[in-house]
Amino acid sequence: MSRPRALENVRVVDFSWVRAGPWATRWLGALGAEIIKIEWPENERGRLPSTTTPQNLEVNLNTSGNFNDTNVNKKSLSLNVRSAKGLEIVKRLIAISDIVIENFSSRVLQKWGLGYQELCKVKPDIVYVSMSGYGHTGRHHHYTTFGPVAQAVSGLTYISGLPDKPPAGWGWSYMDDTGGMYGAMCALTGLYHRNMTGQGQHIDLSQMVASVPLNGSALLDFTANGRGSRRAGYPPGNRTYWPGTPLVNNYRGPTVAPHNAYRTHPGEYNDWCVIVCHSDEEWRRLVQVMGAPSWAASSKFDTIVGRLQHQEELDDKIEAWSLTLRKYELTERCQAAGVRALPVQSAEDRVEHDPQLRHRQMYLAMEHPALGLHKVQNAPFKLSETPASNHLPSPLIGQHTQEIVEGLLGYSHEELRAGFAEGTFWPTKRARFPYMEEMLQ
Amino acid sequence: MSDAQPLPGPLAGLRILELADETGQFCGKLLGDLGADVVKTEPPGGEPNRHIGPFLEDIPHPERSLSFWYYNTSKRGITLSLETADGRRLFRRLAATSDVILETFRPGFLASLGLDYESLRKQNPGLIICALTPFGQTGPWRDYASSDLLHMAAGGEMASCGYDEADVPNAPPIAPGGGNAWHMGCHFAYMAIMAALVYRTVAGKGQYIDASIHEACALTTEAAIANYIYRGEVLLRQTGRHHAARPTPRTQFRAKDGRYVCALVAGRLNPKYVGELADLLDSCGMAGDLKDPKYQDPAVIAANTSHIIDDLVANFIASLPAEEVYHAAQQRGFTWGAVRAPEALLDDAHLHDRGFWKEVEHPELGRSFVYPGEAAIYSGSPWRISRRAPLIGEHNTEIFCDELGLSRSELSVLAENRVI
Repeated sequence: MSRPRALENVRVVDFSWVRAGPWATRWLGALGAEIIKIEWPENERGRLPSTTTPQNLEVNLNTSGNFNDTNVNKKSLSLNVRSAKGLEIVKRLIAISDIVIENFSSRVLQKWGLGYQELCKVKPDIVYVSMSGYGHTGRHHHYTTFGPVAQAVSGLTYISGLPDKPPAGWGWSYMDDTGGMYGAMCALTGLYHRNMTGQGQHIDLSQMVASVPLNGSALLDFTANGRGSRRAGYPPGNRTYWPGTPLVNNYRGPTVAPHNAYRTHPGEYNDWCVIVCHSDEEWRRLVQVMGAPSWAASSKFDTIVGRLQHQEELDDKIEAWSLTLRKYELTERCQAAGVRALPVQSAEDRVEHDPQLRHRQMYLAMEHPALGLHKVQNAPFKLSETPASNHLPSPLIGQHTQEIVEGLLGYSHEELRAGFAEGTFWPTKRARFPYMEEMLQ
Repeated sequence: MSDAQPLPGPLAGLRILELADETGQFCGKLLGDLGADVVKTEPPGGEPNRHIGPFLEDIPHPERSLSFWYYNTSKRGITLSLETADGRRLFRRLAATSDVILETFRPGFLASLGLDYESLRKQNPGLIICALTPFGQTGPWRDYASSDLLHMAAGGEMASCGYDEADVPNAPPIAPGGGNAWHMGCHFAYMAIMAALVYRTVAGKGQYIDASIHEACALTTEAAIANYIYRGEVLLRQTGRHHAARPTPRTQFRAKDGRYVCALVAGRLNPKYVGELADLLDSCGMAGDLKDPKYQDPAVIAANTSHIIDDLVANFIASLPAEEVYHAAQQRGFTWGAVRAPEALLDDAHLHDRGFWKEVEHPELGRSFVYPGEAAIYSGSPWRISRRAPLIGEHNTEIFCDELGLSRSELSVLAENRVI
């Protein structure tokens, strides 16, 4: 019954915290790698502060909902790496692992005595992925980022918004999500290369730098044509072109209209649909879906240039129609006629109302010992031989300390107890969770 | 420079057959720039997205699309019509020697031509096919028409991006530009392909990958899903900062030069931070009352959050150009950044230190152009742009004649019959 996993027998030592790094290793875990998350409660960011603890639970290290979703498929070893004993233990772990991944500032691991040269002494073919804000080389390597800062500095924030308004930017840490993607991509690429050549390497990923290639078309417009993005009509909101400004391509596909978000019935906060017509033919289909109103017969809307020039009027008229329909109804009518339209979907819409995501089993419930039964996000790809899956809830902090220290690394139970007594596995002055007491029996 | 052969990229030796439109071409670039031999297979006459601008010098031409250039580096290019029997036969021969086929056709299209995975893998058991489509191969929306904007709507990006009512009344949800729905799909597709390749190094078997752009987008809104699942919250859109269940203090401030600074202050205001903030502001004589010892009391800080953010920080930033604020703050350990237009990155010293910008030759134009480089530096197997985007059918002779053994006259016949 149980299917093979793509990353069977791959072990990852995961020092990552907050979002970008954990989002990377979450996917390596879903693909079957054993992820050992090294944590320390005095120096923890990701579990706390939590704004996603269910209202009926106490906020503590084990009750963040977002932590759970970001850290499924992992085990947790709580370990003070900045103690001699902790360093020895983590080196023993690295010696039997394939990948080391972390998203600290650029010099942290080196300061701990775990720089790439040291890692190679312990495991010569280790694949080491560092995911720092600015990378380990370059004059600003010591600068720090959160997603929004990487987005600002790299140009990603600027490209989002309405012309002549402040940037709308991204309403979340897009570059934590995407930085996590690159972390996983780098780890897999390094692993493939190691399997083929026997050689490990250090892969120096930068969150800020990784954002820059996402603006490739705009950058080439500047380097090849000298056209910068600080110009009238840019960014053009949800349109491809803002009427009354110079007619140029704004890096979101072909320059067409309609191409916008329109309010739908009953007009509440997320009652919007987007509609796009890529050709005259698609426009004529939309006209039919709208019931061929007389305004749409005007010759000024017959041509693409006319629709671009008269976009304000066009969008107003379309919205007068779209407001008469609910967003899913509008979507179905348009798509049935071959018109590109989809609803703006909130998180609630995606989890509860999106028939496609439901069909594809995007959100399946999983039991977590502290949070209970909740839906967890699944992989957006289906591998026929080695499907990705969520097979472990996120770990309680230090939940697997005994399993790893005794079971995997072969330390004795007395050494485990001594490590707890000395503050190697848990701060001596901090109350232990009941499952830790059980480990010490 | 030494004459030694440069180190190969980490994916050297892999052959990727790419049959991808604008939705999947970035995945091919990611593979090609890391050393794979990506053979872009276009319909005769070239991919339609060669007609998407901007164009070099605003002269529209299928060989001058800058977006096509950008997304198709490090690939060779052939033309092939799968709708002809000759084309399908050649495709089978190419598939027999490929490691990965990346395709973005509508679900069922290849199978309708008899080119389904099962038949292709009979001749090549290690073959990996990644079908990257808007909604995947199954489900009620699988045949829906799509676009980048549509994915940003249904994927949830737009529900999180927009404006405070005070900044732009009645603002719509906003879809950031630049084709990021395609990027999200391609990142996950790359991940799935690499996982299948790693598995193949161990098990020797290929597999079929059904990847969905809609799902990739739906996964890329950070905690929005968790906020709903664990707390039932639906989030507000806010200008230049995180979505939130309840309004949060602003983080985007206008600088002296009219540009903006992203300064993450709210939520971090403890006595230590306030002390350091006072020093930063004081370095420009803008500390106001922030050096008052009363601000070492968390209760006083909490009672004055708006004063600190909306008066002191805002006035400090308004007194300097955005770039100066950015560097002054970062040099003191503040995680702040200037909101830059993309072209400002060409002047970024840090990127230059990392050798980020690449000169790419376009020999047919006798010119070279500067392209963005790598997200990550691979110490043992470097990323590189091995060539500019292929011209239409540029490698037809190289691949069909030199590799597959067709004669030049056969190639001519195929061209006359619109097979290539």
